[in-house]
Amino acid sequence: MGKNSKKKNKVILPPQLPPEVDDDEVVVSDEDVEFFRGNEGHARALARLDRKSIDSYVTRVAHHDDDEVERLYEERERRRKAAEALRPKSNKDEDLEVDPVDALPVKTLQGELVYNNAKKPRFDEISNGPESKSKDKGADAKQATQRGEQKARSKETKGDGRLPNVQPQIEAPNGKLQSKVLEEVEEELSAEELFEKKKAQLAEIGMSMLEDPESNIRSLNDMLNICNDKDQKVVKLGLTSLLAVFRDIIPSYRIRQLTEKELTVEVSKDVKKMRYYEYTLLRSYKAYLQKLISLEKQPNFYNVAVRCMCTLLDTAPHFNFRESILASVARNLSSPDDAVRSLFVNEGKHRGEATIEAVRLIADHVKLNDCHLHPDSIGVFLSLRFDEDIGKDDSEEEKGRSKKKKQRQNQEVPKQLPVSDKKKAKQELISKAREEVDAELRAVSFTLDAKERRRIQKETLSALFETYFRILKHTLSTSNSRGNAINVSTDGSHPLLAPCLEGLGKFSHLIDLDFMGELIACLKKLSGHTDHHSQILHDNTLSVSERLQCCIVAYKVWRSNLEALNVDLQDFFVQLFNLILEYRPDRDRGEVLADALKTLLWEGKHQDMIRAAAFIKRLATFALSFGSAEALSALITLKHLLQKNSKCRNMLENDSGGGSMSCLVAKYDPEAKDPYLSGALASVLWELSLLQKHYDSSVSSMASNILSMANLNPTQNPVPISIANPLEAYRDLSMERELSKPANKVPPLNCKKKRRSKDFVALSPTVLQGSDFLADGDELKEKLQNHFAVLRGISENERLRAELNHTLSSINLYKEYKKQKKRVKSKAGKKKVARA
Amino acid sequence: MAKKLGKKARKFARKNLQSVAKRNRKQRSQFVRRPRRGGSGRGDERAGDGDEEMPQRAGDNLMNNGGDVASLVNGLEFPEDESELNSDISDSDDYLSEDSECLYYSDNEGDNAVNDCFVQDGLDGENDQMNIEIKKQKKNLNKLMDKDPEFANYLEKWRSESYRSKEDSDDDDMDSVDNGADSSDTNPPNDKILTRKTINEWCQLVAKEPKSPSLRSLLNAYRDACRFGVHSKSPSVQRIQSTEVFYQIITFVLSEADNIFRALLDISDDVNKGKIMNLRSAKKWKTIEPLVKSYLQNSLDLLSQLTDNQILAFVLTRLRASAVLFSAYPSTSRRLLKILIRLWASGDHNLSLSSFLMIREVASLLPECLDLCLNKSFNTYLASSKLVNDGNIKHIDFLTDCLVELYSLDVQKSCESATNSIGQLNAILRQASKTKEKEELRKVDSWQYINSVNLWVRFLCCNYKDYNMHPLLSSVVQILRGVAHLFPGTRYLPLRLRLVQMLNELSSCSQMFFPIPSLLFDCLEFRDTSQKEHGQKTKVNFSSLLKVPKNLLKSRDFHEECILSAIDALSAHFAQWCYHVSFPEVATIPLILLKRLYEQSTIESLRRPIKRLIDQVDENRNIVERKRDGVSFSPNDTTSIESFIHDLQID
Repeated sequence: MGKNSKKKNKVILPPQLPPEVDDDEVVVSDEDVEFFRGNEGHARALARLDRKSIDSYVTRVAHHDDDEVERLYEERERRRKAAEALRPKSNKDEDLEVDPVDALPVKTLQGELVYNNAKKPRFDEISNGPESKSKDKGADAKQATQRGEQKARSKETKGDGRLPNVQPQIEAPNGKLQSKVLEEVEEELSAEELFEKKKAQLAEIGMSMLEDPESNIRSLNDMLNICNDKDQKVVKLGLTSLLAVFRDIIPSYRIRQLTEKELTVEVSKDVKKMRYYEYTLLRSYKAYLQKLISLEKQPNFYNVAVRCMCTLLDTAPHFNFRESILASVARNLSSPDDAVRSLFVNEGKHRGEATIEAVRLIADHVKLNDCHLHPDSIGVFLSLRFDEDIGKDDSEEEKGRSKKKKQRQNQEVPKQLPVSDKKKAKQELISKAREEVDAELRAVSFTLDAKERRRIQKETLSALFETYFRILKHTLSTSNSRGNAINVSTDGSHPLLAPCLEGLGKFSHLIDLDFMGELIACLKKLSGHTDHHSQILHDNTLSVSERLQCCIVAYKVWRSNLEALNVDLQDFFVQLFNLILEYRPDRDRGEVLADALKTLLWEGKHQDMIRAAAFIKRLATFALSFGSAEALSALITLKHLLQKNSKCRNMLENDSGGGSMSCLVAKYDPEAKDPYLSGALASVLWELSLLQKHYDSSVSSMASNILSMANLNPTQNPVPISIANPLEAYRDLSMERELSKPANKVPPLNCKKKRRSKDFVALSPTVLQGSDFLADGDELKEKLQNHFAVLRGISENERLRAELNHTLSSINLYKEYKKQKKRVKSKAGKKKVARA
Repeated sequence: MAKKLGKKARKFARKNLQSVAKRNRKQRSQFVRRPRRGGSGRGDERAGDGDEEMPQRAGDNLMNNGGDVASLVNGLEFPEDESELNSDISDSDDYLSEDSECLYYSDNEGDNAVNDCFVQDGLDGENDQMNIEIKKQKKNLNKLMDKDPEFANYLEKWRSESYRSKEDSDDDDMDSVDNGADSSDTNPPNDKILTRKTINEWCQLVAKEPKSPSLRSLLNAYRDACRFGVHSKSPSVQRIQSTEVFYQIITFVLSEADNIFRALLDISDDVNKGKIMNLRSAKKWKTIEPLVKSYLQNSLDLLSQLTDNQILAFVLTRLRASAVLFSAYPSTSRRLLKILIRLWASGDHNLSLSSFLMIREVASLLPECLDLCLNKSFNTYLASSKLVNDGNIKHIDFLTDCLVELYSLDVQKSCESATNSIGQLNAILRQASKTKEKEELRKVDSWQYINSVNLWVRFLCCNYKDYNMHPLLSSVVQILRGVAHLFPGTRYLPLRLRLVQMLNELSSCSQMFFPIPSLLFDCLEFRDTSQKEHGQKTKVNFSSLLKVPKNLLKSRDFHEECILSAIDALSAHFAQWCYHVSFPEVATIPLILLKRLYEQSTIESLRRPIKRLIDQVDENRNIVERKRDGVSFSPNDTTSIESFIHDLQID
């Protein structure tokens, strides 16, 4: 009984109750218990599934403020009393209301009628609820019940078109409460039928919801109940259909809790209805989310739950309970959905609040997992956008509008009255006044907003860089400790490093100057720089691409801060100089190399001559050993360097005695580790002459183009043949791109020569020598005779077999003959008899 | 009785004899195929359309390479033109009418001909047993007949009845199969037994005077010899009783026929088809034509019957001399080609070679056969290169060379089919790289694909110098690079090394620069394999592998083979550019890697070749550098560079 009274409490609960955690959960777990008691066999099977959800509910409740809960219960109790005070007047429903427990067995036996009754009182109570609040109980109470009846009647009489909308309302509780009956019938109904039935039911409810959400809002509960089904398929279906419904009906504003004061104000019917609608929506939305969050932990439902949450976050980032969705989505960033990314991109939807929340959550997540996560979890940061000058027109407009909307909602209550008056002059006045107020408000909200936004952005940035620095530090510590070969058991991969570096490169202009020095030092270490040049970077476990990325980032950071930073980037150039030789086409990402060439050399400022010469020589050598895409990007960089450093053009020419310029190092050392010690200025770019013979026409023409620079004055530049930068050139020539290009038609060949067709071209004469084969006579004779003998043997065999068969069949015939003879005899005998 | 026996034997032959069965199958398949060609079903779109549609369809393939690609692996094959002109197919045995002057001699030892069968095979024992059995059963029958004389009458009646009915039904199905072989004989062949003496006499007569009537008799004898065993129902076949005679006839006709016909027709050694066609209107052609035809057709019969490779090779070599005569009989030459291509693809090298030479002879003499011949042999090549193992690498290599030879006969025409085929290969590759599906990737990673790429690479190599084939070259290079890109990783190193080999070949024929090292870096990476030192040494042979089985991936043998093959490929690359002025730079990066590998490697058998390569490259680099220091021209002076290379080569 206690249980059931609780249930009743739920029913009576008025909408004004703050939609916290409590009652719904209690009910759900209650139902579960009831269900378990009813069918123990299934309960056991379900035990694992449901206990979890129950646990989660319990913990949720535990989190709550005790006072709050208490207050809630008190309030409920008070309201229940108020309702009871009303009850005697609604005679019709009395017996039902007094003891609904007694009604229960009746329900199971003769379903519909009783449910109709159960439905109606509930409806009444709900419509009564607000009124009980409004303190004039006596006067309106009867009217209210009558109104309730009227409504119900009108609904029923509205005819067939309306009927399906009503039907599911009635049937849905059937599905829930009738579970006992269903269990009994289960043996007769196959599981498949049940599934089909539930599917149909879901579809029906869903359709009705979409048709008219306002009047069918209660069906959400029924759908939620279906999600508790023990059939996983049904649950999944239920979750997805609920998702579809919510996506459709979630309003474009956040539903606000009503204050006590507002609750006390008397409102019109429409508003009441609206409040009820919002309340129910919010409550079921919450229940749905809780369901999702609990299901996410189960591997079977993981995909569905995550997808649902991502979609919800995507469509309704402004709506209530965003925090809880975000929290669980942030945990599952590696899933294929792009919810967080779209969150970052479409900040207008939620005014940037969600962004900071998401970034913080991800930061915590990274911290918790010690940087061992899927790269995607950091990759989403790349879609963050930071306005450098907040407070410009566009954003204002948007903010203002949303504010206005909110404001208008608040004003809805007072608005009702003047409209009902319908006096034009008054209306105009009011609208005028409202406009003024709006303008004022906008002005105020705008300034506030810019500040607010700046604050949000600042916090986002700090959380972002905190994450990035954490990853860098972590990488540094692990790779260093590995260098010392001590404790580390990790496999040495740094999954987050690549996206982290990418992000640092992207947001380099936003980094605080204070961190800069430390960051650069960190990057320098990561890029594999050691103070002792002799020591090769064996102990550095970062891959070539990652080290290249470090160089890129360092350079970008330096550049985007207007080079104000007094940092020597020489070391990074040395690193790049060496990394060029370490590059392996299949192992490392060519794009990163091309990007490094582009960032450090192509876009870079003026290089000093010796360094430029060293790079020029190295790039030329590099182009000889690598594929056309790499070669072309190297050549483009080379050409750019030659253009910038006209003195290096001497390398294109071979003056006397090999070297073209005297410098510190007289002899060129191709394996030099330091560009300043390579002596490249003394070398000649012979590579280009061979590159002119390159099979790829773009490479060979580029090589000739560069060579043509030798004949021009230092100020002149050759006709540019392509304006692409190294990275673009690389992408354009890379194999993937090439294979996705449409196949070029091979033009018909025009062959000039006509060769005498008698000569052999492919076969070597030694092979052909054996061709004039003449077997020596005896062997041939023997073989031919063998052949003949075999053939004769076969034909002889055939002949004999035929003869044998023939003879045998003749013998067999004798039996036949005998039979026939007998028959003739007997016939003759019969004839004789007959004649006789 | 005798006739009836003949019928029965014929039926038996049709049922049991293998060669006949083969014939039947062939004919049946033709029967099946014919109506299908007429229908417009999509299924046979590729299989049997006319030739004129081919280029267009290939064009379509290139255009919408999205959907069609799925069926492209089959589409790699060229459509064959199966339709045969049946105009002169009168395949029947036109028995040459013999002159009565031609005398038959009785042989002294002809009577004991059976005894000279010195070959003991399984059938002889069986035959003996059957003889005994027959005798037994006959005795039984006779006993029955003695007992009941009335039965003898009954039996006689039944036999004549069954004979009649059987003849009816036999004639029905016989006609369709055998073209009414013996009913169409206008002049019944004589069934005098050929003795050794007779043949000897004839041979002498013919050798003396080609025009002598004995030639006809001799050719008839040849016909019987060629058909011996197949058409055993005709009594004429029984004429040959001794192996000696058989041998004599065949060798004499094969070795002399060509000379005789040339003498008769008065043609020299190097006639072409046109002359033969002219001859056709001449008067003497009319008299000699039947002889030629009989000779050629019967030789084909012989070819399709023989099973011994050596004899086949002998017959082919003989027949090659008179290849030009086939030009008068298009359908016969088609049949010849079919047989030849089958023999060419067979495993025996000598036979393969002699049939290839014959194919080439026929293809070059009869231009209208070239298309058929190329398509057929290309398809046969594809079919036989499906599986590659250690055993047949050489053979497939040989087949590739042969095909290149055939394609080089008429480069202009071959370029079209090369373009089509390369386009298809390219489309398959694109599809695979687009979808990355296993099924599609497997199409590229197959021997058929690699072998056909290899074929075109060789074709290009052979003809690049004489023809302007740059567009073809670049699309082949694209395929090679694409395949290498599509299959990275150590498992596919054998495939990659193959591609590198092809690139090296192309590079040396076109004198273009290919950055070979970039594809070999994977092989030169040091891998620690020492911990997996197991006893049995598995020989890893890269030439018969495309991808390494997983169990070998970590083995030392694989590692060794990897590095050795890479050294091979690298040294081929270096060898090509060793005289070039920029050789030191070409070698720079590979040398760095090789040195590193040398330092890290612990396997002695590897260190030695690596060291050797390093030393040689170093030495050569020093030579070039020294020489280079002495010159005064600049890198953009192409002519001086050429002369520099030339000078170095002379040194």
